[in-house]
Amino acid sequence: MPDWIRIVLNSAVLVVVLFFLTKWLGKKQLSQLNIFEYITGIVLGGIVAIHSSTLDYPLLYGLLAMFVWFIIPLGIEFLSLKSKKVRDFTQGKSTVMIQNGKIMEDNLKKERYTADDLLENLRSRNIFQVSDVEFAVLEPTGVINVLPKKASQPLTAKDLNIKLAPKKEPQTVIIDGKVMHEGLANMSLNLNWLETELEKQQASIENVFLGQVDSDGQLTLDLYDDKLTVPAPIEKQLLLATMKKAQADLELFALSTKNEMSKQLYEKNSKKMKKVIQLTETYLQ
Amino acid sequence: MTVGSNVKSCVASIRSIEATLETMMHQNANPEAKKAFSSANEMVRQIKKDLEQQVIRLANEEPQYK
Repeated sequence: MPDWIRIVLNSAVLVVVLFFLTKWLGKKQLSQLNIFEYITGIVLGGIVAIHSSTLDYPLLYGLLAMFVWFIIPLGIEFLSLKSKKVRDFTQGKSTVMIQNGKIMEDNLKKERYTADDLLENLRSRNIFQVSDVEFAVLEPTGVINVLPKKASQPLTAKDLNIKLAPKKEPQTVIIDGKVMHEGLANMSLNLNWLETELEKQQASIENVFLGQVDSDGQLTLDLYDDKLTVPAPIEKQLLLATMKKAQADLELFALSTKNEMSKQLYEKNSKKMKKVIQLTETYLQ
Repeated sequence: MTVGSNVKSCVASIRSIEATLETMMHQNANPEAKKAFSSANEMVRQIKKDLEQQVIRLANEEPQYK
């Protein structure tokens, strides 16, 4: 057999073997590999490179070496799944760098981190002053994760005591002018509903590139023809405004009437309307 | 405009509120929102009832503007 055919055959076999080995070794992303997995990858690649381009050694030796380099990491991975101790040893433990706002100099030294390295990493997290940090930890992957002090954390709705209506994922009901029946069914809507909504917005389905329904049942459209403007759904804002107006009207009637009984009736209903507004406001914004 | 016609137009907008609340209640997929809308709808219905009676009373008081 001429050499070049052997090279082609060897390479083909090795590509297939390597493909399956890497598949079985898991689908962690490159950045998440620990040092051992990283080396394994390089060695496997090296073996394949040597055996697919030279014929000095029999292919069997290469396959054997690959098998060993595959079976040992797999065994270690299996053991580290089972035991926390093995995991700490093979994958490393995270190191606390800053605790209660104080830098842990001993831990820094242990990880051979200088103050500059620490500052650089904090800066990449948009923190320029160490006193803003409550807690920082160096992960085994080499990334520093930071918990800023409460005062330096971005405001959330929880901090402001605002009650927000939960939003579910929107469903796509039209793609490329075609109805997506699955999306409609997920929102328990039907074709009739879609047709009426399209008519309301004066759009024909052939002209719709994308249509989505949010959890409130509002349909938003993107048309092929970008010169046409689709009215944005304003039903909710309109309802809130009408309710506010009705409430104000009732209050006005209560103030302007001199009949005691009517006054009470208007006041009672104005208060009721206010309650209705409070009840539904979060869902109408 | 007389008081009677003012109240009448207010009743009309309350009717529209009731109808919109009801559609919202049926359209919304979120059970919490559904509950809020349905109890709001119930309250608005009571307001509407009160005011409709008031409209009749006012019509009797100002028969010339009926």
